[in-house]
Amino acid sequence: MTATGLALRTDGVGKRYRKGWALRDCTLALPAGGVIALVGPNGAGKTTLLRLVVGLLAPSTGTVEVLGRDVTASTPQTLSRVGFLAQDHPLYKRFTVAEMLRFGRACNLRFDQGLAERRLAKLGIPLDRRAGSLSGGQQAQVALALALAKRPDLLVLDEPVASLDPLARHEFLQVLMGAVADGGVTVLFSSHVVHELERVCDHLVVLNQGRVTLAGDIDTLLAEHRLLVGPRTANDLDRAAAVVEAVHSDRHTTLLVRDGGIPAAPGWQAQPVALEELVLVYLRRPPEPSAGDPSEVTA
Amino acid sequence: MTWLIWRQHRTEVCVLGLLVGAFGIALLVLGTQAHDLFPGGPARCAGEAGVGEACAASFRRLDDEYGYVENLLAAFYLVPVVIGAFLGAPLLARELEDGTWQLAWTQAVPRMRWLAAKLVALAGVTVVLTGMFTAVLTWFRQPFDAWEGRFQYDAFDLEGLVPVAYALFAFAVATAAGAILRRSLPAFGVAFGAFLAARMSVALLARPAYATPLTAMEPVPAGGPTDQAGHRFVPGVADWVIERGYADATGHRLSSVEYYELEDAANRAGANVNQFLHSRGIQQFGVYHPADRFWTFQLIEAAVFVAVAAILVGVVVWRVRRRIL
Repeated sequence: MTATGLALRTDGVGKRYRKGWALRDCTLALPAGGVIALVGPNGAGKTTLLRLVVGLLAPSTGTVEVLGRDVTASTPQTLSRVGFLAQDHPLYKRFTVAEMLRFGRACNLRFDQGLAERRLAKLGIPLDRRAGSLSGGQQAQVALALALAKRPDLLVLDEPVASLDPLARHEFLQVLMGAVADGGVTVLFSSHVVHELERVCDHLVVLNQGRVTLAGDIDTLLAEHRLLVGPRTANDLDRAAAVVEAVHSDRHTTLLVRDGGIPAAPGWQAQPVALEELVLVYLRRPPEPSAGDPSEVTA
Repeated sequence: MTWLIWRQHRTEVCVLGLLVGAFGIALLVLGTQAHDLFPGGPARCAGEAGVGEACAASFRRLDDEYGYVENLLAAFYLVPVVIGAFLGAPLLARELEDGTWQLAWTQAVPRMRWLAAKLVALAGVTVVLTGMFTAVLTWFRQPFDAWEGRFQYDAFDLEGLVPVAYALFAFAVATAAGAILRRSLPAFGVAFGAFLAARMSVALLARPAYATPLTAMEPVPAGGPTDQAGHRFVPGVADWVIERGYADATGHRLSSVEYYELEDAANRAGANVNQFLHSRGIQQFGVYHPADRFWTFQLIEAAVFVAVAAILVGVVVWRVRRRIL
C-alpha cells in the first residue's frame, strides 16, 4: 500500500462484551505512512480497538478495513502485512530468544531473520537466553524485533512503553522511530501518556469511554484550536458550538475553541494551544453519547 | 507448525510417554510371568474348560500371585483421562493465560489453520499413547479375562476401544473448558470431573441398555444352583448378568420377600432348600448380556464418547472462528 492510501478505516465499529459496550460508533479514516497515536485513559477501549484492527476480535457492529482489506478475512497475505505487539509484550517464556525467532520464521510468509538478529545483537540480547529470564525492556525489544522482522506495512503496538522504566522506554522508542524512518511502515500505537506525543506522532485519535472524541492530523488540529482569554463572562458560553471547554477564574475566562482561527472578539486575546493541553481537555470532556461521529461535531 | 507444536507441548508428551512406557514395561514383565502359568495360552482355559483340573490350578496361582496387580489395575481406567486432559487443557488455556494467543494469531498462520494443526497433533498423540497403553493392558488381562470374562467394570473399561474414546472425550472437555475458563489447571479439573460423572452414568444407566438383554430360566436343580455334574446355569461367568432371581412355575418373578417366605417354609419343614424349591417347580432366572456382545458394546460406548468429544471440539472451533475469546 502506498503512502496515499488508507492504513485504517473503521465504519461505525462497536464491540460489546458481556459487561457492556467497550467501544461504540467508532468511525475513523487514517492515512498510511506516519505515526498514529491512540490516546485515552485506562478502560477507554484502546486495547479493544487495536485488537479489532489486527483481527484478534470481531466487531459487534460495523466494519474494519486495514490497508484496504476487511480484517475478518484473515488470509496469510493480509495477516503478514500487519505486525502486532500486544500489551505487556507476551512471549513464550520458556522459549529461548533463538527459538522465538524460529517461531517467527515458522509462522510467517516473509520473515527477515537477519534483521531481527542484527537488532538483537546491537542491543546485546543473547540468543540463547530464555525469553522469560530477560528483563522487561529486553522482552519488549525481542517482541518488537519479531514484529519488525515480519516487515509489516502496518505495525500496531498496544501500550508499548507502559511497563518499561524510563531508560528502557527511551531505548524502545528510539529503536521504533529508527525503524519507522528507514522502513516506510505505518505505526499505530496506544498510550495513556500524553507528553512526548508531539515529537513522535503525525496523527492523533483520542478515545474516551468507548467513543472517539477527537481524531485528526496533529498540525491541523493545532491550527483549528486556540485559547481565548478575556474578562470573566457568563456561563452560557460553555454551550456555544465552537467552545470545547470554558474555565473561569476570578477575573478571567479561558476558552478552548475550535473555530478555525477567525479573528477574536474585542477584548479577547488569542493564544495557540499546546498539544498536551489540547489532549487533556478532550480527555476531561465526557463524550456526547448522541453524536454519530464525534470528530465532526464542531467541524 | 510441526516444530512449534512439538516445542510447546514436548514436556507433556515426554512426561506422558515416560509414564506409559514405565507402566507398559512393568505390565509386560509381570504379564509374561502370568501368561507362563497357562501352557498353551490363557484362551484355552476360557469358559467351560476353566473348570478342568489344570486350568483351575493355573487360575488359583494367578489369583494368589497376580491378583493384587489386577486390583491395582482397576483404578487405571483413569489413565486415558489423565492423558487426554493433560494434553487438551493447555492447548488454548495456556495461550490465553500468558497472553501469547495475541502473538500466535497475529502471525501469517490463520487461526483456524493453527487450531486445526494443534487439535489434530495433540488428539493424535492422545490416541497413540492411550492405544499403546490399552494394548498392553488388554494383553496383560488375558488370563484374568479367561477367568472372569470381559464385561466386568475392571475389564470392559480398560480394554479394547473405549479407553481411547474416554481419552478423546477428556481431551475435548479439557480443550473446551480451557477456552472458556482461560486457565489450564481448572480446565484439567473440569475434564476429570466431567469424565467421572459421564462414565458413572453411562456405565450404570446407558451401558445395560445398549441391547435388549436375554433371559434364561430353568427349574432349580435339586442339588443346588450349580450342581456338581459340570452343568452350569446359562448366564456363565463371562456373561454380563444384570439381574438374577427366582420365579414360580408360571414364570412369575418372586420378590425377595416371597423368596424368603419360601426359604423360611423350607427351614420350618426341615428340608433342603434346593430340594424344597425344586419340588415346588420354582425356577431360577438370569437376565444377561452374553459374552459375545463385548465388541458390539465397545463400539457403541466408544461411539457415544467420541460423538460428545466431536461436539465439544465443534464448540471450540466455533468460538475461535467467531473470535469469541
